[in-house]
Amino acid sequence: MESFFVRYRNLLVLLAILLAQIIGLAMQVRRTDSGRNSLDPQDAPGVRLLRLWADMVVTPPERAFHASRLGTVGLWQNYIDLRHIREQNQDLQKTIDRLRLEQASLLEDAKQGERLQALVDFQQKYIYKTLAAQAIGTSGSDSSRVFYIDKGADYKLERDMAVITPDGIVGKVRDVFPHSAQVLAINDQTSGAGVILETTRIRGILRGNAAGRPQIVGILKDDRIQPGEKVLTAGGDLVFPRGLPVGVVEKVVTDPDRDAFIDVIVKPAAHLDRLDEVLVITSTEPRFPPEQQQDMAMSEMLKGAQAAAISEANKEQKKASEVMAERLPGLTDPNAPAANPASGQATAQPGQGATPPATTPPPVPKLLHPQHPDRFTPAAALPPNGESSAPAGQEKKPAPKIGLKPESKPEVKSGPKANPPPAHAEGKTQP
Amino acid sequence: MSLLGADYRRDMGVHSYPFLVYALTPLAALVLQAWLPRLVRGYTWFDLPLVVTVYFALARRNPIQGSLMGAGMGLFEDALTHHAIGVNGIAKTVAGFLAGSVGVRIDVENHTIRMMVTFVLSLLSSVIYFSIYRVLLGLSLEWSWLAELMKAVVNSLIAMVLFPLLDRTQVRD
Repeated sequence: MESFFVRYRNLLVLLAILLAQIIGLAMQVRRTDSGRNSLDPQDAPGVRLLRLWADMVVTPPERAFHASRLGTVGLWQNYIDLRHIREQNQDLQKTIDRLRLEQASLLEDAKQGERLQALVDFQQKYIYKTLAAQAIGTSGSDSSRVFYIDKGADYKLERDMAVITPDGIVGKVRDVFPHSAQVLAINDQTSGAGVILETTRIRGILRGNAAGRPQIVGILKDDRIQPGEKVLTAGGDLVFPRGLPVGVVEKVVTDPDRDAFIDVIVKPAAHLDRLDEVLVITSTEPRFPPEQQQDMAMSEMLKGAQAAAISEANKEQKKASEVMAERLPGLTDPNAPAANPASGQATAQPGQGATPPATTPPPVPKLLHPQHPDRFTPAAALPPNGESSAPAGQEKKPAPKIGLKPESKPEVKSGPKANPPPAHAEGKTQP
Repeated sequence: MSLLGADYRRDMGVHSYPFLVYALTPLAALVLQAWLPRLVRGYTWFDLPLVVTVYFALARRNPIQGSLMGAGMGLFEDALTHHAIGVNGIAKTVAGFLAGSVGVRIDVENHTIRMMVTFVLSLLSSVIYFSIYRVLLGLSLEWSWLAELMKAVVNSLIAMVLFPLLDRTQVRD
């Protein structure tokens, strides 16, 4: 017996190690209701302990590497490579001014949207608070698109918080350690984010493929989806706020497993392979944060100031044009009589002997008379020569009323107190 | 078989290393494996823990040590991912065991042979990883064989550079 163990010692040790790991694997996988196997999203305490140890071993050197790299890059960028920084600063200032005006113009739409959402009892979540963090490491595996950030439970990070950059969404916090956190990127095969195509409003689920490219899966074939269309977050996954940029459609391919479905390959807006600094959305609220409200107020103020400046500029321009008109004699006739504001009234009252205006009156458009006028023709009851259109010896009958009952037809009284019926109701024209 | 192997190892000579090399080299491989992909824009076409495992298993000519080192490195790698812990561990355990077994039988001083062993074991490790994930665990995982082939080639190139450097740290009897 002893010789057996000695003889097959290597193989026995190998089998023991493999068996222990297989048992450990079996404890981490569970069968779902649909009959498929799945990893437990919440790690067991033992598994989490292993991850915590690995993180404690790897994170400090990664921080040191990252800090030294940042120091070197910062030394170069902040002290040596400062050419054209003044021009960039001016360009950025112009961009800020332009964006402030755009923001102020969009503010009313946003407020209206809030009111409408309140009416339909829909709570739109806005990004209320973010926390900047540095990406310091990865999983080191192609099949696991996760990375580590240098903020953890010490900054009150929690699981499933959204991670973004100013360009677009990046992923969500999967696990939180004391001084770091693991972020699951959107191009991982197990990730899932609710997205919507901006133009076609088609919704889908975004996840990664084997090549690490994000793709929208589970969409029926639709010819309207074209490359270049923007993809936004749909807001229904309770992780990402609605409307954040995800990327643009790169191409559409047929689902290899289901012919009726397509996979929409998305070019991510965020540079997932060059992440340095990310923002963790630590809080979302159904209103704008104070900083943004203050910024919008400033934008409105600036917009008002700019409008006043534009109005003042118009006035100045008007004054300048008047001065120019006075100084240029060719523009006015010195022999022409002064314009009389009351000339119109004088023209209307020729019996009072008012002087007719020197300027020619504007031409009055003449109405063309129809060859076969009917009761719907304008001024059909009044021929050009003032004669009645009815034949001789025939009384002019009122046209039937439209929409009025016959018994409700009011009698026309000739007295001064009688109110004349409206012309359209009686088929008569007023004299 | 193992007795023959032990005699043969004695004849071939078993390399030994300072404790710091044993401790720091695997640690450095794990840290660099986690950190370097950030510099190379996410292209994880290398597996430094596997290369180090193969090197020490070949140099020590001991399948048990190779298995233990492979298991440790693989479990550590698994712990850094969000996948089940043990998949990489099993793959690298087998790779370490085979490397140690091969070291008993062939001349591992030859750089070409070590490169070829690294290439084959890298591919084998990928196959085992994929098989465990898809067959044993029944989980869905898309796979790119081109990427795995590239990884095996890059691992061989790394081995060509790294093995001679580590050879210099050997303790000469």
